[in-house]
Amino acid sequence: MNIGEILKNLWNDSGYNLFGVGDGWKSLLMIIIALFFLYLGIKKKFEPLLLVGIAFGMLLTNLPGGEMYHPEMWTGADAVKGVNYLDVLQHGGLLDILYIGVKTGVYPCLIFMGVGAMTDFGPMLSRPSSLILGAAAQGGIYLVFILAAATGAFTGGEAASISIIAGADGPTAIFLTKTLAPQLLAPIAVAAYSYMALIPLLQPPFMKMLTTKKERMAVMTATRTVSKKEKIIFPILVTIVVSLLLPSVAPLLGCLMFGNLLKECGVTERLSDTAQNALMNIVTLFLGISVGATAVGATFLTTKTLLIIVLGLAGFVLATICGLLIGKLLYVISKGKINPLIGSAGVSAVPMAARVSNTVGLQYNKSNYLLMHAMGPNVAGVIGSAVAAGFLLAVFGA
Amino acid sequence: MSGFILCALDKEAKLGVVDALLLAIIGIAIVFVVLIALMLLVSLVGKIFDGSEKLQAEHPEWGEKIASFKAKLMFWKKEEQEEEEVSVEETPKELAKGTCGELTLVNCEERDAAMIMAIVADSLNTPLNELRFKSIKRVEG
Repeated sequence: MNIGEILKNLWNDSGYNLFGVGDGWKSLLMIIIALFFLYLGIKKKFEPLLLVGIAFGMLLTNLPGGEMYHPEMWTGADAVKGVNYLDVLQHGGLLDILYIGVKTGVYPCLIFMGVGAMTDFGPMLSRPSSLILGAAAQGGIYLVFILAAATGAFTGGEAASISIIAGADGPTAIFLTKTLAPQLLAPIAVAAYSYMALIPLLQPPFMKMLTTKKERMAVMTATRTVSKKEKIIFPILVTIVVSLLLPSVAPLLGCLMFGNLLKECGVTERLSDTAQNALMNIVTLFLGISVGATAVGATFLTTKTLLIIVLGLAGFVLATICGLLIGKLLYVISKGKINPLIGSAGVSAVPMAARVSNTVGLQYNKSNYLLMHAMGPNVAGVIGSAVAAGFLLAVFGA
Repeated sequence: MSGFILCALDKEAKLGVVDALLLAIIGIAIVFVVLIALMLLVSLVGKIFDGSEKLQAEHPEWGEKIASFKAKLMFWKKEEQEEEEVSVEETPKELAKGTCGELTLVNCEERDAAMIMAIVADSLNTPLNELRFKSIKRVEG
C-alpha cells in the first residue's frame, strides 16, 4: 500500500483541489456570495425564512464534488424535450430530487395555499376599489417587460420571467420562471425575495416624492363590515371567474383561494392550521434550498444576472410609482377620501407593503392608521400579479 | 401572419420593442379588465347581502316568513337529531375504571353473586381484582 498515492488520490478527489480545476473558481465565488446572503438573512433579517434556505442551497450546490444538483438534468440539451424524472430519481442528487417540486410547480402552489389560509380578504371586500390599485401596480411588470426586451439580451420567455419580479410575489415568480426560463430561476428568485425584503427602504422615497403633504395626511374612514357569507363566496367566485379566463394560472390561483376558503368556511380549522403552519414551513424549507441549488457558478455568474438585478430593482420602483399614480387619481375622484399612499401597497409583498403605507401615513398624521385600508390593495396585488403571470404564461407557455 | 403573433408563441425568440409594447398594453388591459370585473362582482355580492339585511329590517314580516320556511326545512334535521339522541341512549354505558367487563347474572341476586365471588377469591387465595367472572348462574337441584 502506497500511503503517498492514497493521500494524492484523496487530494485529487477533494473539493479543495477541484476549486482550481476548470470553472472551480466560480464555485468559490458563489460560496462567498452564499455566505453574504446568509449574512443578509441572519444578521439583517432580509426575508430570513426563504433567504437562509436559498443561501444554504447555493452553498451546497457549489461545493465541488458534492454532486447534489445536476443542472444538465433540468436545462441541458436532453431536458429541452422534457425532463426524465426517472433518471432524476435514479441518478440525481438530494437537491435534484427536492427540485422536482419546483419544476412541477408543486411548491409555489402549496406556498400559495398557505398564503391564502393566512390572508384576510375582508379589507378588499369592504372597499372593492382596492382592486383597481392592485391592478395598477402590475404596470411595473409590463414596463420591465418592455425594458427587458429593449436590452436585446433576453428571449421573450426570459423577459416575461424577469418582468414578474416587479409583481413582488415570490411563488408567482417561481411558478412562471420554471416554465418560461428555468435557467434564470436562481437570479430571479434571489432578486424577487431580496427586493421584497428591501421594500421598507425602496418605497418611502418615491411615496414622498410623488404625493403632496395634504394627500399623505388624508384620513380614510371605516368601511362596511363584510359578512362571513361574502368571505366564503369570494374565493369560489375568483377561482371560477379568473381560471376560466386564464386557465394557465388556475393551479396557482386555485390553491390561493382554496387556502382562503379553508380559513373562512369555519369548518376546516385543522386543515387551515396545517396549511398556514406545518405545510407552509415544510414547503418553504424545500423551496428555498432547491431554488438556491439552481445558482450554479457557471450559469449564475453572467452579465444576464447583473441585468436581472438591475431590471428587478427598476420593476419594484415602477410598480410602486404606478400604484401611487392611480392612488392619486382615486384621491381626486373620491374627493380626498382615499389616501394615495395605499396605492404603493398594490405591489403584493403581503403584508410588508401595507405596513410601509401605514408607517409613512403615520409620519404625517399620528392618528391616521392606514394599515387595514392598505391591506385591500395589498391582497388585490396578489391576485393582480397572478393574473399578469397567467397572461404571460398563456402567451409564451405554449 | 404578423411577427407579433409569431413572437408571442415562441418563448425562445427574442422580442422587438414594438412587439413587447403591444403585448404589454394587452397584458395590462387584461389585468385591469379581470380585476374590474372582480370589483363589480364583489360590489354586487356586497349589495345583495346589504340589501337583504335592509329589506328584512324594513319588512319584518318577510323575515318571519323566511324564518318559518327555514324551520320547515330544518324539520327533517330535527328528526335526524332525535334519532341520533335515541341511538346515543342505546349505546352501552362506559365501563368503570379497573373493571374486567360486565358480569352476567342468571337467576342470581347481586348480593349472592358478591358473596360467591368473595368465597372463590378466598379459596383460590387470589385478590378479587385479579379474577374475572363472566357469569354466575343458579343451578336448580
